[in-house]
Amino acid sequence: MSSPTTVGQRDELVHVSALNEYVYCPRRFYYQRYHDEIGTPYELIDGRSKHQNQSNRGGWVTERYFRSDELKLHGKIDLIESDSEVLTPVERKRSESGQYYPSDEVQLTGYCMLLEDALDEPVNVGYIYLYSTDTRHAIRIKERHRETVRKIVSRITEMTVNSLPPFTDNPKKCEACSARQYCMPYETALLEPEKAQGTGWEDRV
Amino acid sequence: MKSAEGMFDESIVYVTRQGAQIRTGEGRIIVFDVTLDEDDDSDPELASYPIEKVDTINVFGGVNFTTPFIKTANESGIVLNYFSTNGKYRGSYRPTKNTIAEIRRAQYGLSRQEELEIAKSMISGKIRNARTLLSRKGVHGTDVLRDLGVRATKAMTKDALRGTEGEAAERYFSRLDETLIDGWTFEKRTTRPPEDHINSLLSLTYVFVKNEVLGALYQYNLDPFLGVLHADRHGRPSLALDLQEEFRPIFCDAFVTRLINRGVITHDDFNKDNRLADDAFKTYLGKFDEYMQEEFTHPYFEYNVSRRKAIRQQAILLRKAITGELDGYHPLTFDR
Ligand code: SF4
Repeated sequence: MSSPTTVGQRDELVHVSALNEYVYCPRRFYYQRYHDEIGTPYELIDGRSKHQNQSNRGGWVTERYFRSDELKLHGKIDLIESDSEVLTPVERKRSESGQYYPSDEVQLTGYCMLLEDALDEPVNVGYIYLYSTDTRHAIRIKERHRETVRKIVSRITEMTVNSLPPFTDNPKKCEACSARQYCMPYETALLEPEKAQGTGWEDRV
Repeated sequence: MKSAEGMFDESIVYVTRQGAQIRTGEGRIIVFDVTLDEDDDSDPELASYPIEKVDTINVFGGVNFTTPFIKTANESGIVLNYFSTNGKYRGSYRPTKNTIAEIRRAQYGLSRQEELEIAKSMISGKIRNARTLLSRKGVHGTDVLRDLGVRATKAMTKDALRGTEGEAAERYFSRLDETLIDGWTFEKRTTRPPEDHINSLLSLTYVFVKNEVLGALYQYNLDPFLGVLHADRHGRPSLALDLQEEFRPIFCDAFVTRLINRGVITHDDFNKDNRLADDAFKTYLGKFDEYMQEEFTHPYFEYNVSRRKAIRQQAILLRKAITGELDGYHPLTFDR
């Protein structure tokens, strides 16, 4: 274990849930971070349902906070399964659609990396549990997963208030986005079309 | 294209019932009548609203908030505005969390030229809307307003812009008389105190719309006291007055002429000092809130929005112009 995190360092650590947010849309992440602007974050909704289903049987560890100055990552893993000495993080999702997304894999990878940093031994598998279908999916954590996490962490730590990310190139995401009313992709495409170049919104106006 | 539904619609609550107390319970804001006798079996709960839907509560006269409610208001970012029973502004309670340094920094960092550009958009938008209101009411021959609108877009200094604005206002108000039904005349715009009934209604409506604008600016973390055109003066919400300009003809004046022309408010509704009598004031408030919730087709985005939401959208657009997310400020203008 390293020495206690100072205030300055803590600011620079990236919360694991931020990985998921960033992958959804960097711009929305920017708004949350610098403008405090968001409807109800879906992470919060997720969280509520998780807590209602809190279980604490043997073989499970719940709600453990981890941080790693080296990974620049911190976060709470709310469920760790321990099976014959092997610890496996479980990420539970509501997912109405009955499937999980690449962003969920990224988040899970973040947990695995935090756990292996704390245990000082490899954690190569994590589970995504979907409430809607009551299914559990084993995800093998590959180098490309870890690479993605490292890349996102560095993008997040390098983000500044002066670098507003562009609109997502997938307008479908905007339709479900809680920051939509504030972000105004469609309105911007109408008012200042050049700002929406290459985003998918230019064709929708 | 569909606008995201449901937001902002109930976001402002007006409470005029004297002796009412505002409490919180089960995730809701409850307006409670504490004046009822014990043996009175009418329901003491007058109204209730989900906390997350409300961002502003305006109270008139003797209305109280419980201390736990103030805590909730602070945590949920709800602004409380106090008015006298006949609508005079007394002050506000504002939550502590709405201060995002980066936005304020961008606002304070605007150059004179950037301020002028934003102000020009606002004033030319206002003049455009003034013409539109007149033409909707069948008042034509407003070419001089069109010319003044063009002149506004070319102003080189704030003073020149103010001059153009003043001239346009004079021209516009000189024709407003023609939009009123018989029995009502509009001589000239007077303030402090308003010298007649129509001026009194206009003043009242400007105050109410100013409060809508103020709420919107607070919600999006702009500092309402630092203006782009109105001179900064201690205690004057200059930026709110700036942003209000484009709404004056098309929302405020249009509302007042509607009240008069439909006979909702008559000369009998006023006191000697040109103020609305108590009952008429309640009618006014109800109509105003209704008017703010009324939807129209957005002239540019083409979906339906309520007037209240349109004002908030303009605050967002202003913020985007200030932070540089958009190249300029885009006022809400109606061509027809
Ligand atoms: S509206 Fe679209 S571009 Fe804007 S933050 Fe949401 S997902 Fe990203």
